[in-house]
Amino acid sequence: MSVKRPFAVVTDSTADLPDEWRERYGIEVVPLKVLFGSETFRDRVDMTDAQFFERLAASSKLPTTSAPSPGEFAEVYGRLARDYEACISIHIGRQLSATAEAARIGAQSVEGFPVEVIDSETVTMPMAFLCKVAAESATLNEATAAVKERVPKARVLALLDTLRYLEMGGRLNKASAMIGTMLDLKPLLLVKDREIKPVERVRTRARAIPRMVEFFRGDLPVEHVAVVHAQAAGEAEEIASKLRVEMPGQEVSVGAIGCVLGTHTGPRALGVVYLKR
Amino acid sequence: MTRTTNRLSTVDGTLFKQALLGSLSWLAANQEEVNRLNVFPVPDGDTGTNMLLTLQSAVEDIKDSQASEISKIARLASHGSLMGARGNSGVILSQIFRGFARAVEGKSALNPTELAGAFEEAANAAYRAVNRPTEGTILTVAREAGRAATAAASEPDATAAGVIAAAAAGARTAVLKTPSQLQILRDAGVVDAGGFGLQLILEGMLKSIEETEAPMAPVTQPARAAQVSMELPEGGWGYCTEFLIEGSDLDLEKIRTQIESLGNSVLVVGEPELLKVHVHTDDPTRVIALAGGHGKILKLNVGDMSSQHKRILENEAGGPAAAPRANGVGLVAVVAGKGLVDIFKALGVDAIVEGGQTLNPSTQDMLRAVESVPYDKVILLPNNSNVILAAKQVAGVTSKTVHLIETHSVPQGVAAVVAFSPDRTAEENMAAMSGEAQRVQTIEVTHAVRDTRSNGLKVKKGDVIGLINEKLEFAGSDYAEVVNKALGKLGPDAYELVTVYRGAGASDEEMSSLETAIRSSYPGLEVEVQHGGQQHYPFILSVE
Repeated sequence: MSVKRPFAVVTDSTADLPDEWRERYGIEVVPLKVLFGSETFRDRVDMTDAQFFERLAASSKLPTTSAPSPGEFAEVYGRLARDYEACISIHIGRQLSATAEAARIGAQSVEGFPVEVIDSETVTMPMAFLCKVAAESATLNEATAAVKERVPKARVLALLDTLRYLEMGGRLNKASAMIGTMLDLKPLLLVKDREIKPVERVRTRARAIPRMVEFFRGDLPVEHVAVVHAQAAGEAEEIASKLRVEMPGQEVSVGAIGCVLGTHTGPRALGVVYLKR
Repeated sequence: MTRTTNRLSTVDGTLFKQALLGSLSWLAANQEEVNRLNVFPVPDGDTGTNMLLTLQSAVEDIKDSQASEISKIARLASHGSLMGARGNSGVILSQIFRGFARAVEGKSALNPTELAGAFEEAANAAYRAVNRPTEGTILTVAREAGRAATAAASEPDATAAGVIAAAAAGARTAVLKTPSQLQILRDAGVVDAGGFGLQLILEGMLKSIEETEAPMAPVTQPARAAQVSMELPEGGWGYCTEFLIEGSDLDLEKIRTQIESLGNSVLVVGEPELLKVHVHTDDPTRVIALAGGHGKILKLNVGDMSSQHKRILENEAGGPAAAPRANGVGLVAVVAGKGLVDIFKALGVDAIVEGGQTLNPSTQDMLRAVESVPYDKVILLPNNSNVILAAKQVAGVTSKTVHLIETHSVPQGVAAVVAFSPDRTAEENMAAMSGEAQRVQTIEVTHAVRDTRSNGLKVKKGDVIGLINEKLEFAGSDYAEVVNKALGKLGPDAYELVTVYRGAGASDEEMSSLETAIRSSYPGLEVEVQHGGQQHYPFILSVE
């Protein structure tokens, strides 16, 4: 019988974790779910993001989403307990989803297996960055400290093509006086400090992109950067190449948004995501 | 006899007050004349109305004063005109009063030389107030009036009445010359409206002073001007009455003539089946009875004018419980049309001053709105070229810090407000908002109110005309045709989004055929339709 490894890294499907990192670091991904009426799909397990956006476009009723159950987490932790001493479980911000709470409850039912549940306060690839930081740490304590230190530094600057999806999903504080709903505005939203805050409003995507780059420039230096998108790969590449100019030598990856997050952003969303230094 | 001569050899406060009442009467009597002189055949910029309301505000401030010193009356008139200034000409008029008041400071009465000097100083003040003075406008007329006054004052037995007569004559000559100084006046075949307004003001002064002599004169003059003046300021401005007449073969000209006999600021526009009527009248009942004889009256709206155009709509969107803005910066916008008001409110504007195309709000109206918002710094958006000058005056009459963004159109105003962020300082917001306002292109579509030539275009009354950034560029018979030409001229490849603000006068059918036409001609452009509800402009388009 081999010696158990010190700790596992777990996250959920809203981290938009690149496959390459998942394989390289052996990170476990627990899927959230998308419900089209009575049909349930596990995010990126039963349905790819391309299939999801195709179905979204054809669907008259908007889908809903749900967190994994505590039982599903217990199952994952139970399985990991065979090979690992402990685990760090990094999840979508509690302001956005019940996932972290399900993880905490799930962890209680696996005895003798310490689970450090981290509320990332964010969503999409900053979570993946945190997973990478954890995976590259030597011990659970180091990993926990390194991740907790970076949680307040996670930023998601998102451009939505419409606010419709976010509003329908109830993820937007309607009292936010900044966003008028009469005009079809393209808001730039910032996910930071457990809040989704509008930082700027623009009327066209062409105007939004330089504003995103400008905002990003104001937040330099950063340690991990990516551009994420929902069915807008061309524009994401365009932004990424602009960001590379801002910080030569630093890697800027491009990633796709999954089904669950896509339910709330709608198609054509773009995000510049990073950890501030 | 001796006393009368003395009195007319100098001008004191009492006489100056009386002279201004005469100006008001004479300008009121000729208001529509002035309004008809608009260069652009668009139904905005009521120069006559604007100047009259400005002057009325000056008279409001002096009418209860018993001061015999001219310095006191001039100071009150200067203050009143500044508060009531509307439209470009009105604002310049207020600066003329201001210059006059400065020139007569400390004096109880003016001899002919001092009076002429005050006229000259009034003109100088007006020149200084304008960024780029243009000859052939009210400025030129003011200057020429001052020069003529000075020449008359240097005559051996000069009298105050003689100086005023010379100023009025000088103004008249200068007004007639304005078309030779300004190409746009020449093309349109009109004299300058603001200059003509000033001429009327000086003539009104003269008339009133001549009436002072009247008891001594052998022939009793019909005191037309004096009668008018008694009607005007006391009862306010009556009722702003608006409605539609639905019928068949409605005779626009005939109805306009009839309504003109019952009020002023008359606007009758539309088609033989549906006419829109706007009039300021003391007797709305008679107007309605008259109109009712031609067809069915729809959408009748009668408002007390003095309160109506000062109405400030508080922002209800945020409600009283809305959290104060972190940057302490308030937003005030000038806008008219139900839809547009809602759009600006939803974008976070704290107070709306109703006005724009035809009823240019006064400095006072904007001041009230600025004072009403719970912030010490206020960004003010005039959203119309004719409102900018009056808006500029607001900063000088409030203790709040007013930042003016010179938005010339509704699309510029929307672009500016969209760029506002409560997390940025007033200065940062100013930079971002001005930048965005500059970026957007405005197309306005309306009907020519008369035949004209402008910008090399021959335009017939009733033609659909398209203005790009306030410049008349296209005329035609069809909205879609004119809009598509205008979009073509802008170069649609450089733009992404067209927002169409639909005016009160545009039908569903016209709206949908315009939308279809834009989409099929320019498939690369996104088209968004919003209800604007603005008068006079069936369509305002924002291209960005």
